[in-house]
Amino acid sequence: MVTRLGDGDHTTVTRGGYLLLLALAALLALVFYYPLALVLTGAFRSTSGWSLSALTSVISDPYYVHLIWFTIVQAVYSTLLSLGIGLVGAYILTRYDFPGKRTIRSLTVIPFVLPAIVVALGFILFFGNSGYLNRALISLFGLSRPPLHILYSLTGIVLAHAFYNAPIVMRVVSASWEGFDPSIDEAAVSLGAGRMRRFIGITLPRLMPAILSSSALVFVFTFLSFPIVLTLGGARYATIEVGIYTLVRTLLDYNHGAALILVEMTISLFFTYLYLRAEGHLAIPTQGSRRLSPRRFLAPPVSVGKVLIALYVLLVGIFFLGPIVSIVIDSLRSAQSWSIANYAQLLSQRYSPFLGTSPLATVRTSLIIGSLATMASLLVGTMIAFFVVRGRIVGRWIIEAALMAPLAVSSVAIGFALLRGLSAPPLRLGGTLTAVVIAHAVLTYPFVVRVLRPILEGLDPQLVEAARSLGSSRLRAFLDVELPLLRRGLLVAAVFAFALSMGEMSATIILMRPGLSTIPIAVYGLLSARQFGAASAMAVVLIAVTAASFIVIDRLGGEKINA
Amino acid sequence: MKRAMWLMLFLVICVSPFLAAREKIVVYTYDSFVSWGPAAALKEAFSEEYDCDVEYVTAGGGKATLSRLIAEREAGTNNADLFMAELNDVPRIANYDLFLPLTAEDVPNIATVPVDLMAEGLNGFVPYEYGYITLTYDTQAFSTQSPPATLEDLADPVYARQLICEDARTSSTGFSFLLWTIAHFGEDKYLDFWRSIHDSLLTITQGWGEGWSLLTHGEAPLLVSFSTDTAYAAICGDPLRYRAYAPGEEGYRTVYGIGVVKGTRHEALAKEFIDLLLSAEMQKLIPTTEIMFPANGNAKLPPAFQEYAIVPHTVLSIPLAVVGENMGKWLHAWETVITQP
Repeated sequence: MVTRLGDGDHTTVTRGGYLLLLALAALLALVFYYPLALVLTGAFRSTSGWSLSALTSVISDPYYVHLIWFTIVQAVYSTLLSLGIGLVGAYILTRYDFPGKRTIRSLTVIPFVLPAIVVALGFILFFGNSGYLNRALISLFGLSRPPLHILYSLTGIVLAHAFYNAPIVMRVVSASWEGFDPSIDEAAVSLGAGRMRRFIGITLPRLMPAILSSSALVFVFTFLSFPIVLTLGGARYATIEVGIYTLVRTLLDYNHGAALILVEMTISLFFTYLYLRAEGHLAIPTQGSRRLSPRRFLAPPVSVGKVLIALYVLLVGIFFLGPIVSIVIDSLRSAQSWSIANYAQLLSQRYSPFLGTSPLATVRTSLIIGSLATMASLLVGTMIAFFVVRGRIVGRWIIEAALMAPLAVSSVAIGFALLRGLSAPPLRLGGTLTAVVIAHAVLTYPFVVRVLRPILEGLDPQLVEAARSLGSSRLRAFLDVELPLLRRGLLVAAVFAFALSMGEMSATIILMRPGLSTIPIAVYGLLSARQFGAASAMAVVLIAVTAASFIVIDRLGGEKINA
Repeated sequence: MKRAMWLMLFLVICVSPFLAAREKIVVYTYDSFVSWGPAAALKEAFSEEYDCDVEYVTAGGGKATLSRLIAEREAGTNNADLFMAELNDVPRIANYDLFLPLTAEDVPNIATVPVDLMAEGLNGFVPYEYGYITLTYDTQAFSTQSPPATLEDLADPVYARQLICEDARTSSTGFSFLLWTIAHFGEDKYLDFWRSIHDSLLTITQGWGEGWSLLTHGEAPLLVSFSTDTAYAAICGDPLRYRAYAPGEEGYRTVYGIGVVKGTRHEALAKEFIDLLLSAEMQKLIPTTEIMFPANGNAKLPPAFQEYAIVPHTVLSIPLAVVGENMGKWLHAWETVITQP
């Protein structure tokens, strides 16, 4: 049996802990479970009353069965590709130092925050039949037809999902990897263990929580993916989420929609639960007294490994930068020539009628919502992470899965549930900024928990016990001992929560009222108003604002950690 | 004494927003009406004449906004005074009993709407513009070869990966195209048609905007679109690279309507709003902003419209009641067929 951290009396939940859990449960009940339950009761109803007909048709009708099957298949492929790209990236980030490393690390979150509609635009501009890649290949090899048919297929979907999710794997895994104490590895070297053996025997097991945690994230995320699938796959490559959206938002068939939400939730909750069980057994403490020191990549000697790494960086660089650079180029083109007209017009009142507000106001609204949602999300996420790691009460796995449920529920469903739940008593927040902040906090806090959890697993609770035995209160021990050790994790978590909030559109567009528009909604508004140049410019503004925030957060945090 | 004055001032400041608050009507509509439709001009004219603010609310397309309206009503709130959408988006409205009945007595300008167009609508939902769903092609891609002459020709392998159409479930345009194929091929044959164009379809987009984006980025040369596309390019002074045409001289009628939502506290103002929308002054903006034909028979069309806007020889349309009855069944059969690999 694996020895787990926290076995013993000192980690049983205290009375204060139970109160905290109760308060948390009440809060989540109000802004999440109650609204969701309102919607889900529809699964057991038909127009004539209580009935199971919606549920049975959803699990037997060929259309729905195909939806469910295809959703799982594409999520598996997407997770594998994201893992492949992300793990190599994490290895390079952990093992090597090179100029601009910190900035590159900060920028890896950018793909993740781009609204799907922008990524789709970038993919079309770059990978499309008339995209830059095909055009380059045509002129390079003197072809008459575009050689690559990437989009509008499973390949296109999987590639776009990797574009979104490989950076998550990279960040989560490298954050954990960098904290490793190299002593164990060095001991193995002194005992004569080879490189491969050390990797499989020592590094991999220690990386497992991070790998599983990020895989689960990516699987659930691609499982619930909607706009990418719809835009790049077209309606022919539909997922469960597409089914829910069309049933709830356009066919107004709430009963079948609720039944499909239930099926989707069951599957993604099942995966979340499996993962939580698996991770519990894999948790191995790392003290983190010493840190791995990376080697300088540019220093000699040149090896086969380094050449392969350079090749990887080149290919992945093209893959990630291609679509983004294409958007930037598109934003700088107007009437067949280079121009900043698209940006100049963002400052004018020209687009205000399209957006119901000025483009600049949408930037401000996005920043306000992003900051508030991040704070709320960090607060709730940290509390849950502590409970998940330290709490030892009966049925913990079930409670944990329930606390993480927003992860398993699609944003379309959450937006819809909140619209119904928040518009009615006891809360009357329909159409307010608060409703959107709540939605974003609910959607992002599981990601905060995901990031903090592996780090907390590695913290020795005896540190807290030591502080308490010296007379500190639990709160003081948290503030003085755990918080400083968690700082790096909290920063990563904050970046994720903020990023998700900045790019969120599916739930926002359901909850927002005009005059309160965010950047992604502005991009969407401009796209649907045929203002493609301006939409690209607005997308570039989103990329810039987010990138700047990350670099600032990373720099600030970096200094504090170094100090 | 001084304190009393401060207290008075404070009270006045507190109360003033309520005293100064103007009446406001809330219009639930679709995004393109606000983005490039006559929404701004309409709002200005209305607030000037009736000293009443107008707020537009949209959740995306007409279907999405309708879904929001119904969700809010079921949650026990009613924020909307008026609702606008494509007619085929709303057959299920009948189930929800959403609109107040309207007559020419309430809204005098209803009399300007041709009888056959009025007949397309449902009770309380008045048409204010209409158009035709046809195909639009890229003249550069079809410089040597001609675009498919009929719907049947779309199945020809020479058009492999060349057609973009919109999702019938999420897009009004896509739904109208589906209804067109049902009207053209019949209820027993339309699915065969969709199977036959499996290889000709590049993709099925969520909305018309994404489809137009793909067309103009050169992804595919054929798009299910509006018969007024050429006229729009002419109005904007753009080169006429993308041209609308009616395959087999045929097109499907698309109609947009507006209704007063039951439970409104501004019934009279809402009716005045519809009357203004139907007035000749506002209707003459429809061709240049909505790129549709005005419902008001007296409104004059701009020259570019007269020259380039296509009225198909055969206009197909399925009665709204039939659509409402079969919509769920048709869409489910369609989604099952198009998701087959």
